[in-house]
Amino acid sequence: MPATPEIDWSARCRDALARYAEPLLRLVADKLVRPRAKQPIDELLDKAVAVLINAPVIDRRIKDQPPASRKLLAFMGISRQPRWKVGHLLTLLSALDHNEGFNPVQTLLEAGILFPELDPHNPDIEDFAAWFGLAGTHNAVVFTHPGIATRARGEDLGLPNLAHEELGGLTPPARQSDGLEWPLRLAAVWQQVHADSMRLTQGNTLFKRDLLRLQSDPVLAAPPIDQIAPIADAGVLALLWARGVGLLGDRDGTLEAGTFPSTWDGPLFALLAELFASLPVVESWDPLAGYSPTENGLSPTPTAGLLALLLARDFVHTDAVAEWLWSHHPSWAGVIPPDVTDKGAGWVRGYLLGVAYPLGLVEVSGEHVRLSAFGRYLLLGDAEPPAPPAFPQTLLVQPNAEVLAYRQGLTPALIAALSRFAAWKGIGPACTLELTPEQTYRGLESGLTLPMIVQTLNRHGTRPVPAGVVDLLQRWASKRERITIFSSAVLVEFQTPAELDIAVSRGVVALRLTDRIGMTADGGEPSLSHLRLVGNRDYESKPQRCLVTADDGVTLTVDTPQADLLLEAEIGQFAEALPIDQNGVRKFRLTPVSLRRAIESGRPLTDIDAWFTERSGSPLSAAGRLLLLGAQMPPPRAVRLLVVKLPTADIADGVVQWPGTRMFVAERLGPLAISVDEEQFAAFRDALKELGVNVVG
Amino acid sequence: MNNPTARLPAKLHRRVCLVLTEDAVLAEELLARKKLASEVAGRLSEKVLLIRPGRLDAVLDELRKMGHTPQVVGK
Repeated sequence: MPATPEIDWSARCRDALARYAEPLLRLVADKLVRPRAKQPIDELLDKAVAVLINAPVIDRRIKDQPPASRKLLAFMGISRQPRWKVGHLLTLLSALDHNEGFNPVQTLLEAGILFPELDPHNPDIEDFAAWFGLAGTHNAVVFTHPGIATRARGEDLGLPNLAHEELGGLTPPARQSDGLEWPLRLAAVWQQVHADSMRLTQGNTLFKRDLLRLQSDPVLAAPPIDQIAPIADAGVLALLWARGVGLLGDRDGTLEAGTFPSTWDGPLFALLAELFASLPVVESWDPLAGYSPTENGLSPTPTAGLLALLLARDFVHTDAVAEWLWSHHPSWAGVIPPDVTDKGAGWVRGYLLGVAYPLGLVEVSGEHVRLSAFGRYLLLGDAEPPAPPAFPQTLLVQPNAEVLAYRQGLTPALIAALSRFAAWKGIGPACTLELTPEQTYRGLESGLTLPMIVQTLNRHGTRPVPAGVVDLLQRWASKRERITIFSSAVLVEFQTPAELDIAVSRGVVALRLTDRIGMTADGGEPSLSHLRLVGNRDYESKPQRCLVTADDGVTLTVDTPQADLLLEAEIGQFAEALPIDQNGVRKFRLTPVSLRRAIESGRPLTDIDAWFTERSGSPLSAAGRLLLLGAQMPPPRAVRLLVVKLPTADIADGVVQWPGTRMFVAERLGPLAISVDEEQFAAFRDALKELGVNVVG
Repeated sequence: MNNPTARLPAKLHRRVCLVLTEDAVLAEELLARKKLASEVAGRLSEKVLLIRPGRLDAVLDELRKMGHTPQVVGK
């Protein structure tokens, strides 16, 4: 699966604008571009996109917006997530006592600095209120250009300072995490899904089997080494987060492992920033309840989580944050179980200490928590803290094929590389991985080679990979060579073996599959400069008629241009091949042995008939039936019959029909012939004589 | 084929799903597996099995259940 491509936000904004009906587009452009004259649509779209990346103009446009709209943009900028559900944005504004409903969103849409995410099947937009209704109201998604969101981050949100007064501005010693916990867990869940993809229900929820698998997985369900507050269903959070960040893709209702996005090749902070940015799309999870898909699709987790982080600007007590959320967040209190009397303090502890702390966003001192230097860089725009020191040699490959990975030397790139070919067994101060045949195989299937795997282990190893382990990897890799599957190969069928020989000598094909069929080494398209195509068949299309049964009923001639490989493979079950004639025409012959072989291999006569009907247009010939069934029928009887031949078919019909003669007719043998029992012949002749018909002979 | 540069008459079969085994015994072993045999449309040669259209994933699953680690080309 290809990596998620980088999003071209300018193109995306232009596409959205292009879906506006012209009057609406001109209305929006009047506010965004402010053209002096009426301009063609394309020109207007180009100018609109140019404005979106023009920082001074954007600053002015943002400044023109009402406070609620500016705060909405600020939330998008601070979260680093340019896509939000409208319902979440309105929830955030509501928590700040802005209860203007859809108006702040509509204002930004009309100003051309917020855009609706459009379903390609829906009609173009005439007006935003109608779109809002059609797109699912609060579940409708809007986005902005990241450049705009970044410019809006400085807006004062008016959040209170809940800093603990007892600390009196002092900075107590604080605990900080290394930020590796979630990248490691996301890599582990990626590995799980890579090994066994997860189907989702029609309601886009997890099946119970997969939920249990995540809840009981020894790596994902284990508490973090530096756990301060427990969270429920950490494995589910890792799964949903991995999906949100693009590590897992959704294909036809199944979660599948993609390739690691390019952020995993960069520094740790860039990856953590991306993980933070994808938190708002993690909906069906809650620190207290764990996996909790909602019916209306709007969970308070993304909004309450972001507000909790913003309230922890200075050291705050988690209870104070919970109290503020309890009284301000419009829906969060509803997810706190009624038997919990702490007004959501446990939820806040779970989010800040169980999610944000391992991500490196906050630091902790006793019961107090505040944004770390990295958290302040992300949320408040402070300077980026220095990167953690690098320890490139951090692996120890043991002779039993276990790998110890000392945590301080792990980087996103190394975590991603290890995840492709070694199975995570434990995440701790020293993480443990295991080299297994299955995981080696998956690594090779993902495009790695054996030298690449060994090189990774050596480059990051504190000592060289033991020779026994290299041998083991070599053995597992060579096992993969035993069976090769070509999923969509192009096969070249020649008319004679000699022509295949020539094609091999010319390099047109490299592999001989049969005496007449060859293929290039990678199963790809051969060079056509050496070939004159006499047929072109698509294996996945419906089989065509390509067989002619001769008059003898047993000789089958293949119509070569129409024939396909299935015919080649199947016909041998029914018939014996005859030598190819000079014109290259292939013939087969039905024999009692060949037909019996088909029956013995489990193909009943109905099957054979169906195959012949599909391939030749008629069921098995009469001669074929004789060969196949003759021996099973009652033995034929040899009897003497008196044959009476009549002058015309009409007279013969009359003799068979008239009651005076009908009783003497033993059998109608043909249009003009009937048979009569010898003993009854005299009576038959007399009956006809009465009609004036004299039987001669 | 007297002319060494003459084009060779040939028919192309596209989008064919094949299993190539290291040896004939391995192909026999695969065909002895009932579930796998039902996905095989035919045996082109001792070491080449033709898979029914659209049955690649089922074949892969079954091979992996048998403990094989097939190399997949072109998926």
